[in-house]
Amino acid sequence: MSSDHNQTILELAGTGFRYSGNKPLIKDLSLSVANGEFIGLLGANGSGKSTILKLAGGLLKPSEGDIKLWGRKLESYSNRDRAKLLCYLPQMLDISVPFKVRELVSMGLYPYDIPPEISVHEALDLVGLLDKSGSYLANLSGGEKRRAFIAMTLLQGAGLLLLDEPLANLDIKYQLEIHRLLKDLKDTKNISVIMALHDINMALQFEKVMLIKEGRILGIGEPENVLKKDLLKEAFDVNIEVRKQNGGGTWLSYWESS
Amino acid sequence: MPKLKILLLTLISALILLASLFFGQNTINPFDLRGAEKDILFSIRLPRVIVAFLMGSALGVSGAVLQGMLRNPLADPYILGISSGAALAAAFGLLTGSYLLGQLSIPFSAFLGASVVSVLVGAFGWKKGRLLPERLLLAGVGLSFLFYALLMLLISMSSYEGLRRAILWIFGDLSLADWSLIPYGLVFIIAGMYISVCRSKALNALMLGDDLAHSLGFSAHRERLLFFISVALMTSASVSLGGTIGFIGLLVPHIVRFLIGADNRIVIPVCAVSGGAFLCGADLIGRSIAPPMEIPSGIITAVVGSPYFLYLLRKRDVLGS
Repeated sequence: MSSDHNQTILELAGTGFRYSGNKPLIKDLSLSVANGEFIGLLGANGSGKSTILKLAGGLLKPSEGDIKLWGRKLESYSNRDRAKLLCYLPQMLDISVPFKVRELVSMGLYPYDIPPEISVHEALDLVGLLDKSGSYLANLSGGEKRRAFIAMTLLQGAGLLLLDEPLANLDIKYQLEIHRLLKDLKDTKNISVIMALHDINMALQFEKVMLIKEGRILGIGEPENVLKKDLLKEAFDVNIEVRKQNGGGTWLSYWESS
Repeated sequence: MPKLKILLLTLISALILLASLFFGQNTINPFDLRGAEKDILFSIRLPRVIVAFLMGSALGVSGAVLQGMLRNPLADPYILGISSGAALAAAFGLLTGSYLLGQLSIPFSAFLGASVVSVLVGAFGWKKGRLLPERLLLAGVGLSFLFYALLMLLISMSSYEGLRRAILWIFGDLSLADWSLIPYGLVFIIAGMYISVCRSKALNALMLGDDLAHSLGFSAHRERLLFFISVALMTSASVSLGGTIGFIGLLVPHIVRFLIGADNRIVIPVCAVSGGAFLCGADLIGRSIAPPMEIPSGIITAVVGSPYFLYLLRKRDVLGS
């Protein structure tokens, strides 16, 4: 796998998805993700964020169109080979599993016969959980649990992380902590990240945002170009405006439709 | 530290095995084997201990696998109803006195009954090309009720002697164990264990959920099917060897996880050794308490096991983390 910047690693072309007999959840979706991109996937509940991530992760098979990973059709990879290239973390992580942090993280090595360069120790160090290595997962805080699962994905060595609402149900402190961690990993390891969100404030922190509604893309690009009043109104059915504050920072104002 | 605990468990298991061989209704001096004592050791004790060890191993491993693949800490090898089919078929043989295959009639009937129920449960649990855990559990529970109802009907219509034998068998009867039973039981149990040991990483991944298992490079549906086959083989062979001995499949995996952690690459082999030793120990107690009467091993495992299970429950939340 080459790590050239700007190389396309994931490509969805005219992708659609529907459960048999039902109306389409994803319609004619085309998307290209380059190496090292950090994308926030924003949309209201039920807009298709999770479905897009599951399609990209190979958990769902598209009804129409193609999905390519590093230029090859996604379904042509074996399960193990795919696991070395992309990693999907679901929204609902079972944190009651009776594993210790070290045991969980070391599962990232499962796709390999010969372990990759990074060790369990390094992965734990990168996410700041070295001192919790012997703790049971259930005894960690919400943010620490998420970091433990991220350490597992680091060990897996995948160049593309698909994260379904990893910030959901976390305090703002932990949300920022996880965001910062992923941003650092992206900068240092050139990992691409697509993260589903429904928090517009958090989406402002991303380099690139994809706004979706009913399985189609309303806008994609830098946050200031996508998170505009008209598009946000269409996506969330609420009047929302992102305003810049003097001296930096942004804030949201929203109001009921008249 | 887990290494020390594993070593200790293995040592205790070895001591229990030796004790089951040389103690019981008659104590045998291993350094002075003569005549009758030699016969008792090689014709009665050794096959009985081997059968008990095989059964206990199969039940311990099946429990660990089921609790992992169904992500349900209360799962045990009998939750899938496999024992109910075995019990019905074996009881039919015992109560009607059908011995077409001689000494192997009852084990064969039990294995056949267990296999039929395994296939039925698998068929009911199968939907859209995959085994669904909830459907498997519900099918197992539903079929268990049906087959146990038929068993009760059979028992209520039976003669005294057949009835006693059938009840003993239902609670686990190792008194019939002999060398002829061992080879075929060994084949199925080893085959089931081989699958489980080889796929132990996949079992760890399944415990995290199907989506994460997929992300780690496993097909959750394929792995679950393999584990189901593995458990069906081990449980069917186990009940056919000596009846339905409860509690080992539930208790042993919890004790092992409590002592050495949840990594199934270690849990499965340790459950095999500890489960085997646990049943050998229960059998030794059962035949030593009030000779010449033998208390069925299933009763001993429940009486010894349940207080310890409750102790574990208090000590740590064994039902989850």
